[in-house]
Amino acid sequence: MGQWLEVLAGGITQGAIYCVFAFGLSLVYGTTRIMNFAHGSFYMVGGYLAWVLSVGYFGFSYPIVFLIVVPLLFLLGVAVERVVIRPLRWAPNWKTATMMATLGLAFVIDNLNLIIFGPGEKLLPPLAAGTLSIGGLVVSYHKVLVCMLAIGILAALELFLTYAQYGQAMRAVAQDMQGASMVGINVNQIFSYAFGLSVVLAGIAGIMLAPIYLISPLGGWPPFLKAFVIVVFGGLGSTRGVFYSAFILAIIESFVIFEIGATWTMPVWLLTLLVVLIVRPQGLLGVRTD
Amino acid sequence: MNEKYFWIGLVALVALGPFVGQNYILHVLILCFIWSMVVAGWDLVMGYAGIVNFAQLVFFAAGAYASAMIAISLDLPPLEAIFITAIIVAFVGLLIGLPCLRLRGEYVALFTFAVHLALPSLIRQGRPWGTGGSTGLMGIPPFEIGGYTLYTIDKLPWYYLTLTLAAVAVYTIYFVILPRKWGRAFVCIRDSEAFARSLGVNDYKYKLLVFMVSAAITGVAGALYAHYIGVVTPSILETEFFLIVMLMLCVGGMGLFPGAVLGAFIITIGNELLRGVGEYRLLVLGVAVLVSVVLFPNGLTRLFARSAAVMRPASPRER
Repeated sequence: MGQWLEVLAGGITQGAIYCVFAFGLSLVYGTTRIMNFAHGSFYMVGGYLAWVLSVGYFGFSYPIVFLIVVPLLFLLGVAVERVVIRPLRWAPNWKTATMMATLGLAFVIDNLNLIIFGPGEKLLPPLAAGTLSIGGLVVSYHKVLVCMLAIGILAALELFLTYAQYGQAMRAVAQDMQGASMVGINVNQIFSYAFGLSVVLAGIAGIMLAPIYLISPLGGWPPFLKAFVIVVFGGLGSTRGVFYSAFILAIIESFVIFEIGATWTMPVWLLTLLVVLIVRPQGLLGVRTD
Repeated sequence: MNEKYFWIGLVALVALGPFVGQNYILHVLILCFIWSMVVAGWDLVMGYAGIVNFAQLVFFAAGAYASAMIAISLDLPPLEAIFITAIIVAFVGLLIGLPCLRLRGEYVALFTFAVHLALPSLIRQGRPWGTGGSTGLMGIPPFEIGGYTLYTIDKLPWYYLTLTLAAVAVYTIYFVILPRKWGRAFVCIRDSEAFARSLGVNDYKYKLLVFMVSAAITGVAGALYAHYIGVVTPSILETEFFLIVMLMLCVGGMGLFPGAVLGAFIITIGNELLRGVGEYRLLVLGVAVLVSVVLFPNGLTRLFARSAAVMRPASPRER
């Protein structure tokens, strides 16, 4: 029984982080209607930035790392949106073109990382060392911290989207682009900010998961695959759906790893995607946004 | 369409063969022909049927692996083996197309890309079933036609073999399928699916058909690749190949002949020329994708085509 609780606890922690990561993807899709294939690469960028700032060269502590990384990632996201995404919006087949562009961007980022940092895996130390015992269950401080951090971020996001002006604007753009611009929302600016926010979320998720999964140039693709299974399962366009599906799928993953073995994770995720797409393509709480 | 360009190009390439002195140039051209088949197949699905399919390399790998596994374990004459490979990969195309039937553009892109991402790990897990795992399959027997064995060293026979098959594939796609009923149906579905359905075009049937045809042709290309190179590993599904093939479509242009094929030649040659840059090659390729998609999203061919000749109007659905 104790083992199952451990697996469950692991699943919940993973779920929280996956949720942050998948939320970024869902945010971009919801507002800009674009599937950002470079999301996994931004995840790794976060990890590499944190590595450079902490154990790699500068030796800053984690709070300072976060303070530096968050604005940097935001600016990166805004810049990417301006330079790569925005010019494409007027192309005749902009959806296909943007998907290809983000794929190209993903490869550029991956190969830049490969050239700068080399093909090996980098290690980030956990946010806090040591373990904690809750009612007979042993969990590492890192996992607890990261779980609390992720839940905190999710709560902050929920508050932002509900009460903050830009958050409400993002939801407006997601619901109806034309209507939003008619009431005076600068849609271009919202696109930039949504993209920036999504890159921040991706990067933070990367930092939180790096101590477990390590940092490597191509390491962003498995999380990306998982993120869009989560988003599809929850329903493209529904942020509540992402929340539920992240935890459900992460717990399932945890049990799969425990019972069958880690090498089967990716095929199981793919199988889940297949089943969802066949049985209920709109996901749990899918909303038809177009 | 521009059928005369096809024949001019074909005749030129046929005549060129014996005069190419260097084996290396023949090798590059052989690769050009093989990739032309893949890209033509991809153009059929994406450019003409409008399905955002990122699983094209899955078909390529399926063809390569199927053909290799057949050649290694069974003892079939190559023509039959290729035929069986085409059928197997067409079936794979059917399997991948089935879930895509009810899905919108982004979902199809995601799903097909997910298959592409998950396939290497599936191949590695499939070692007990003869896929060779991470190390791949080596020592694939060379091609044999009418008693004549085509070793990888014999560049000129390979040149003509791949040229013939590529010419057949490209001609079939662009001048047999597309001008006739199937092709019209594909384009109709791309431009306005609801309207197509209202005209009685069975979009499920045609979507599956286009997946199967595209897959079969790409699978044959994969088989050729496997026999030519002699080794097949999961690395053919890696980002490098994906980037390269996508670049071919981007640079050449989708939905207009000779866009895709032209892209195949330009990028294959460019890729070889870039080998001098060493580790920056993939980076340059990625930047090239970005630049070509952002600057000319419709490919090079459309830059030079007159507006009257452009077959693909802006799809009203996507605005």
